[in-house]
Amino acid sequence: MLEEAGEVLESVLKASCLPLSFLLFVPAVLLLLGPPPAAEAAHEFTVYRMQQYELGGQPYGTRSAVLNTEARTVEADVLSRRCVMMRLVDFSYEQYQKALRQSAGAVVIILPRSISSVPQDVVRQFMEIEPEMLAMETIVPVYFAVEDEELLSIYEQTRAASASQGSASAAEVLLHTATANGFQMVTSGVQSKAINDWLIPSVEGRLTGLGGEDLPTVVIVAHYDSFGVAPWLSHGADSNGSGISVLLELARLFSRLYTYRRTHAGYNLLFFASGGGKFNYQGTKRWLEDNLDHTDSSLLQDNVAFVLCLDTLGRGNSLHLHVSKPPKEGTLQHAFLRELEMVVAGQFPEVKFSMVHKKINLAEDMLAWEHERFAIRRLPAFTISHLESHRDSLRNSIMDRRARIDTKALTRNTRIIAEALTRVIYNLTDKGAPADLQIFTDQMQIQQEQLESVMDWLSSQPRAAQLIDKDSTFLNTLEYYMGRYLKDVKQHHVKADKRDPEFVFYDQLKQVMNAYRVKPAIFDLLLAVCIAAYLGVAYVAVQHFGLLYKMIQRLSLKTKQQ
Amino acid sequence: MTLFHFGNCFALAYFPYFITYKCSGLSEYSAFWRCVQAGATYVLVQLGKMLFLATFFPTWEGPSGGYDLVGEFLRATVDAADLGGLQLALGRGGGAGGTSHPRGRPGLGQRRAPHVPMGLDSNISLARHVAAAALLWASGRHDLPPRLRLPLGGLLAAAAYEGFLTGWAGQALGLGPWGALGLRALGAAALGLGALRLLVPLLPPP
Repeated sequence: MLEEAGEVLESVLKASCLPLSFLLFVPAVLLLLGPPPAAEAAHEFTVYRMQQYELGGQPYGTRSAVLNTEARTVEADVLSRRCVMMRLVDFSYEQYQKALRQSAGAVVIILPRSISSVPQDVVRQFMEIEPEMLAMETIVPVYFAVEDEELLSIYEQTRAASASQGSASAAEVLLHTATANGFQMVTSGVQSKAINDWLIPSVEGRLTGLGGEDLPTVVIVAHYDSFGVAPWLSHGADSNGSGISVLLELARLFSRLYTYRRTHAGYNLLFFASGGGKFNYQGTKRWLEDNLDHTDSSLLQDNVAFVLCLDTLGRGNSLHLHVSKPPKEGTLQHAFLRELEMVVAGQFPEVKFSMVHKKINLAEDMLAWEHERFAIRRLPAFTISHLESHRDSLRNSIMDRRARIDTKALTRNTRIIAEALTRVIYNLTDKGAPADLQIFTDQMQIQQEQLESVMDWLSSQPRAAQLIDKDSTFLNTLEYYMGRYLKDVKQHHVKADKRDPEFVFYDQLKQVMNAYRVKPAIFDLLLAVCIAAYLGVAYVAVQHFGLLYKMIQRLSLKTKQQ
Repeated sequence: MTLFHFGNCFALAYFPYFITYKCSGLSEYSAFWRCVQAGATYVLVQLGKMLFLATFFPTWEGPSGGYDLVGEFLRATVDAADLGGLQLALGRGGGAGGTSHPRGRPGLGQRRAPHVPMGLDSNISLARHVAAAALLWASGRHDLPPRLRLPLGGLLAAAAYEGFLTGWAGQALGLGPWGALGLRALGAAALGLGALRLLVPLLPPP
């Protein structure tokens, strides 16, 4: 037996110096007859990269997009240069930090299919973490994926492989390591790079008042862009889809009032849907510069009554008027505040209304509210919102989805603003109108269905500033929508300065990731042992083929004799 | 696939051929070049067959996972050309050693399969091809008793359609890839034993 084994070994050695033609022949046959090499069990899914941008020279978010590492979950002992997979349900900032501290190769966070099914405390917690994740220096790529069954199974298998085998016996550990499935995560894209000359568009439109050259102007502003930890996932329903939907509804209502001579007020109304609101109100800033510094005649230049900024109005039973300087008595600003109080007290006693005074802090990187942009340029401005503080994480979260909007509250807020605004521009209180006079009823009803459909449209797509350029469908639709009600609708564009850019965006925000199944090295070793045993058996079987032959011979002889 | 895994699969797929060649007595006739020639014939036959298949039998484009019975049957009929190729190789071999050196035939009829089962499949093909070659060789003999003609023809047809039949059965029974492999192994074993049973009385006792 041993000699035979030696013989086989010898022939193996001889076989290694076979004629060249034979060596050519074997691969040729393999190439000709083999099926295309199928990458085993690759699962392909879309991943959304974390934000990557620079604002005022300060980098935020992840710095990288390329990923080609093996998957692990946080349970594993060693995370370095591995792709750490986490589920939102059991995501915590400590674990995320731990993964990054251990120099993980990448992080993939798996989000549930519908955000609304997530428990509220998880959502709340994640919303708190989002800005911290962005502020933290992250060199490795961070991706978000929406879970499906395949991905969940990959996660479970990875977790099973990552779980520590402390209590198991040595044989169990060996078997476990040999049979466990590993996954290699690979993204298809190239390294992210800065996008040059990105234009942030904004849209303005106006309703001109009746009579005279020098009419006072009321400016109504809302930023349309959304923000979250991943641009492709930020639908921004409440912030600031609600603001835009209120702006569009106001445009509809006042365009109706302004078509009739009897209800045509002596105020210009200027509507502005600004872009880049989440990036320190870049659109508003440039718009103000263009209007105040570079042109001679502009509605903004002379006689601005006040600027009303709309921000997060989609839910809750409270309204806050944020000001950077309390309005003085006798100004239109003060009149609006008074009218708001009156409307809320007279018609909606369930609503808590208050004025929040916060001075502009120029030392901070980010302005708190949009009205501060105007206040810096000495225009009387305030922001109305249901949030009490600008720090509320709801304003910058991917969890801000359509389901979180209470359309009734949105309609009510629209109504409060519309009524108060009407009372100011038609000067109704001084004309002796009662406090509970309802203006927007019957034909002039605030249309809840309209608001709902606008909200649906706004929150059905990610509206991050990096994704909306001047030709995008979203902006075209918005422009068309405003054009239906307003005059002189036009776009304004902001482009970052080439030398000293105020904002820089990066690409590769949405990618396709592949999970390839890989076996651990010990599996191959085990396989080699099995194959060797199998070949040994085959060898013995061929050697003793004579036994079978003889048996069949005997059998046939027997049948012949019969 | 790592190099080590490639080595594993290569050993699994080709060592049985090597062992067969070494231990069946073929090597004593230094029939190595004959085998290479037979292999070349086989490749040419396969090429011709592939051209034919690609021209007349486009890929099954029905719902995935379905089994195109008629198409597979026709394809298996074309595969019967393998036997013609074998006959050709046997003729070139001059009937002395009498067996060809066919290679495993992965591809064409098969769906995406990982490499280890493919290696095993090639071993099964070895048994099948040896049986087919033996049957073909026997059918060419002048001293073949007429009563054996029918079973021999039946076995040859079985050899030609064995892949198709086992594939179809595996699909119908809902076996996984490993189950189908087992079924193929059973089919090849049955074919081999049948061929032995038929041919042993024809041969002089060793």
